[in-house]
Amino acid sequence: MRIAHYVNQFFGGIGAEEHAGKGLETRDGAVGPGRLLESLLGNDAHVVVTFVCGDNYAVEHQEELTASVLEKVRQAKVDLFIAGPCFDAGRYGMAAGALCCAIQAELGIPVITAMSEENPGVDLYREALYVIDSGTSIAKMRGVLATMARLGEKLIKKESIGLPAEEGYLRRGLLRDQLVEKKAATRLVDMLIAKMKKEPFESEMPPTAFAPVPIPAAIKDMSKAKVMLITDGGLVPKGNPDRIEGTAATRWGSYSIEGRDDLRAEDYEVSHGGYDTRFVQEDPDRLVPLDALREMERNGVIGKLHDEFISTCGRSNPLSNTRRLGREMAHKIKQDGVDAVILTST
Amino acid sequence: MQLTLAHHPITDLQLGAPAALEGTVLVIDRAELSRVVTEDESIVSVDFDIARPGERCRAGPIFDIIEPRAKAPGSGPDFPGILGAPATAGMGTTHVLRGAAVSVLAEMSPDPFRSATGRVLEMSGPVVETSDYSSLSHLLVIPHTRPGLPRQAIEKSYRLAGIRVAVALARNALSQVPEPLQTFAPVGPSEHGREDLPRVAYVGQIFSRQRKPAVDEPILYGANTDGMLPVMLHPDEWLDGAIVPSLHSWFGGTETYFYQNHPIILELYQRHQAREINFVGTVATIAGSDNFDRERHCRAAANLVRWNLKADGAVLSKYGGGLPHADLAETARLLEGMGIKTSVMVSDVSRDRRVESALLFNVPEVDAIVYNGGNGTRLEVPRVERIIAATPEFTKLLAGPMTLDASNIVGVTNQQGASRMRALVY
Repeated sequence: MRIAHYVNQFFGGIGAEEHAGKGLETRDGAVGPGRLLESLLGNDAHVVVTFVCGDNYAVEHQEELTASVLEKVRQAKVDLFIAGPCFDAGRYGMAAGALCCAIQAELGIPVITAMSEENPGVDLYREALYVIDSGTSIAKMRGVLATMARLGEKLIKKESIGLPAEEGYLRRGLLRDQLVEKKAATRLVDMLIAKMKKEPFESEMPPTAFAPVPIPAAIKDMSKAKVMLITDGGLVPKGNPDRIEGTAATRWGSYSIEGRDDLRAEDYEVSHGGYDTRFVQEDPDRLVPLDALREMERNGVIGKLHDEFISTCGRSNPLSNTRRLGREMAHKIKQDGVDAVILTST
Repeated sequence: MQLTLAHHPITDLQLGAPAALEGTVLVIDRAELSRVVTEDESIVSVDFDIARPGERCRAGPIFDIIEPRAKAPGSGPDFPGILGAPATAGMGTTHVLRGAAVSVLAEMSPDPFRSATGRVLEMSGPVVETSDYSSLSHLLVIPHTRPGLPRQAIEKSYRLAGIRVAVALARNALSQVPEPLQTFAPVGPSEHGREDLPRVAYVGQIFSRQRKPAVDEPILYGANTDGMLPVMLHPDEWLDGAIVPSLHSWFGGTETYFYQNHPIILELYQRHQAREINFVGTVATIAGSDNFDRERHCRAAANLVRWNLKADGAVLSKYGGGLPHADLAETARLLEGMGIKTSVMVSDVSRDRRVESALLFNVPEVDAIVYNGGNGTRLEVPRVERIIAATPEFTKLLAGPMTLDASNIVGVTNQQGASRMRALVY
């Protein structure tokens, strides 16, 4: 088994923070933790090349570093790329994650790194990579390397990889289906009984946390603001010209309402499979309240209603997709000089 | 109230005449059943077929699966509110043809855009390990409806055909000696001798009003849930024909069979019998169409659990698509706020297989979640010798070998708690 290993200046034996600006060095064979790794993996395993780089240099020259390491790993023809363990060293974690991602994507060989849960590299790379949970204590180096070695062997042999708790990696935030021994009904009652008895139980879905969205500054004078209507309720012109899907839409459309005071039923249809659309079909203003906004425009409550409204379908739409839709819409809204948006949902 | 189930084990179905239960073999008279089904003038003709466990055979699209059951004389009507007066279900004796099933085939897929095949029944191959339905002997009912009927009228005909045939089959057992008789330990809010046990209730959604039901759509005692508020039901009412799935449910994994054999209710009964818990009752509720509806239903359901059932804990399950997750979570949140512990069962609806897109609710109090899978698994099914389908198009389409979404094989995924397919977070 041929291994390439990346370590920072500290674990590479160059020195502490004062050497963080040191550029990439490529050394033959194992260095520092790489030697321990070799011994844990047994006689077959050889760290054939070690990359040592200063943490500041790595973060400041990420592209150069990645290109250079990638090329050398390609030439070294290795079976496995290991970076770290990085523990709670943030810049080290960021560099290790970036290198692992690039090598996995470009060369298709197994990659492993290790960090503590709080390392900023975890948030960026946990979904794409197996990041072994190293904790923060360097004293645990041996155990962490042993876990990395175990998982590395499995990845090379293409064995099925168990759950985070079994394999020691940080939860990637992904889902996969598996047949389990007990029926859902049994698990449901088991869980309740454990909870009532105050015994430990494990929810099959952990709590999900989302980064807060900062609230933009309030508009000082609405009577001068240009307002736009956006809906995820799937209202589209008759014939659905942009072919916006009624489930998990990958597209959105922007449609003119210039010179109109009211949306007529015969001009629109609804592409949305998740709610009873009949009331919107009867009168589209119920979803995209053009009539009400025109009145506010006439009365000077708002400055102007934008000449187009945006529509998509929000049903069963994964965040990985809606983020893109949102960014695209935001780009257009900014370009059009819109000050405020009213989002209507169903 | 106490239901007695008189089980008659069935090992085989045979077409023949006259209809009879001979030992463990059920002889089925097609002509007689044909008369029963075509009583409904929406159905012009009906075919029947048999699928046996292990047989290299596939059937689809499946509209519903029903366990053949019939009430003993004097025990009240079968499927009250649908086939008879809306008398209380769960009384007296019900005869059960254990090991048999009536499965209704449709002439169209419930949602051709999402699944050309609809849900299919696999009787052989690797999938049988994962579906309880594969081990049953199925009588397939293949109704042909009058052309030009609206979809809901067609689906209502399918529903009626299925339950009428199921009852007709089980009536053959009424004169026979069953083995064994099954009764459940009495359940209710004030059963004596259980004061020291934790009081547990079940709150189950039976419909999601994301879609307004048809005026004549039978769901609860034949009613379509219009104007319904959450209602307390005895567990035996669930098991004995008070509830059937809505007409549009055949995409989601809810079948009449698993109301009759409700996995959650049977699990609670078992723990009740073992004196692990005091099963105090159930609440049937619906998912709302808007926030006002949701608020009304969730509060009413939680209040019934608190004040009428005086439960210490509750298990909750949902019905239908993604939106009912919100109703489920809100009800659980309200219960937790009342000091009533909860666990909930939902199914994975993430399309990108990411946890962040998965749950549809994010309520810290709702911290005990069973997570059903099936959303992301595709299963290889082999070519089989025989396809049972309502149209030549489906016979061709279902021939295999092919890859099917797990959710398109009946029994592999199920919203009623029967499935062993779990979505694991990794």
